[in-house]
Amino acid sequence: MVTVTINGKLVRAKEGEMLLAVLRREKIDIPALCHHEAVEPYGACRLCMVEITRKEWDGWKNMVTSCLYPVADGLIIQTHTTDLIELRKTILDLYLARCPNTPEIQDLAAQYGVNQTSYEQVAEPNDCILCGLCTRICDRMGFSAISAVNRGHGREIAPPLKEAPPDCVGCLACALNCPTNYIKYTDIGQTREIWGRKFELLRDSRTGQPTIPKEFAEYLSKYRNIPQDYFEQNDESHRKETALGLGKIAVWSREESQ
Amino acid sequence: MKSRFIVTPILCTGCRTCELACSFTHAKDGKVGGSRIYPLDAGYKDLYVPVVCLQCEDPACVKSCLVDAIYFNENTGAYEINTEICVRCMACVAACPFGCSLFDAQQNLVIKCDLCGGDPVCAHFCPTKALTYKPIAI
Repeated sequence: MVTVTINGKLVRAKEGEMLLAVLRREKIDIPALCHHEAVEPYGACRLCMVEITRKEWDGWKNMVTSCLYPVADGLIIQTHTTDLIELRKTILDLYLARCPNTPEIQDLAAQYGVNQTSYEQVAEPNDCILCGLCTRICDRMGFSAISAVNRGHGREIAPPLKEAPPDCVGCLACALNCPTNYIKYTDIGQTREIWGRKFELLRDSRTGQPTIPKEFAEYLSKYRNIPQDYFEQNDESHRKETALGLGKIAVWSREESQ
Repeated sequence: MKSRFIVTPILCTGCRTCELACSFTHAKDGKVGGSRIYPLDAGYKDLYVPVVCLQCEDPACVKSCLVDAIYFNENTGAYEINTEICVRCMACVAACPFGCSLFDAQQNLVIKCDLCGGDPVCAHFCPTKALTYKPIAI
């Protein structure tokens, strides 16, 4: 256990834990867009910056991304100083120049009093902030279907060669965890389309309702040893079947005991 | 001595009190949570089965989770979902052969029975003792 000072309050934390986890546990409101517990911290969005210092630093301070900074004994952390708020304002200002029409960015910027960007807007604004959360989650799940391509101005998130990704299984983890809802997908009837690839959804054998994509079910049964027939029904049908099965056993045991 | 959650379908009257208790216990941020227990018609007259997570030994939900968000809680004997880690890919919802891993659209979370951290509220509310939580010798 180590002891750190957060905004003047002594807080205990586990060794090796990242600062952001401690701050979130202390219910301190730190904005962070690229953070997700399932993946390693990345430090892309720069919004979780905090000010750290130590007694022996003689008043010197350092600004670090709290998601990437491990706690250490004797750290003194400030989370909402004037400098930090100014820094976050600048970052959000830059985000607004890139993503002027994104509600998530607009809301966050408005919280910090930034309503309009003071920079020149990009010519073709989109919703992507290039935090790489989608690609990291895709890597973590073992598919690696998408990645960041090009550098500098041309950097974007795309499947290989910008064609329909062969490794994608259509699980939607990238789209559902995108902090700005940039990744678009459509779920119409029995087909799902994401990253330009069409997936056929499995049907529930009783009601015909769509469940997960066929490719995803195949992946799970091949690499995770889950029988393929588990995917032939959705959760509701599974529950109904469980009730019928257990009901039979209950009736049988009641008749046996009489 | 470990406690076990015991479901006795013969005693169940299908009153759905457990469902109500579950929803209100798992309410969050002023929103009622989805129930993790479903008393369903079992196909016989006056027979209902409360379908709830059976905390299997080699569970399909844990095997299907690609980000290891479902873990075994040694203290309660329940498999719990860490909602911070969960990426909502629905693999466990599709994989559970008993349909006890659910998606709660209102809270936007994947949910399953976690035995309320070692003291299932539904067992307290069950009027006919169809649901009990008591220590058993193994």
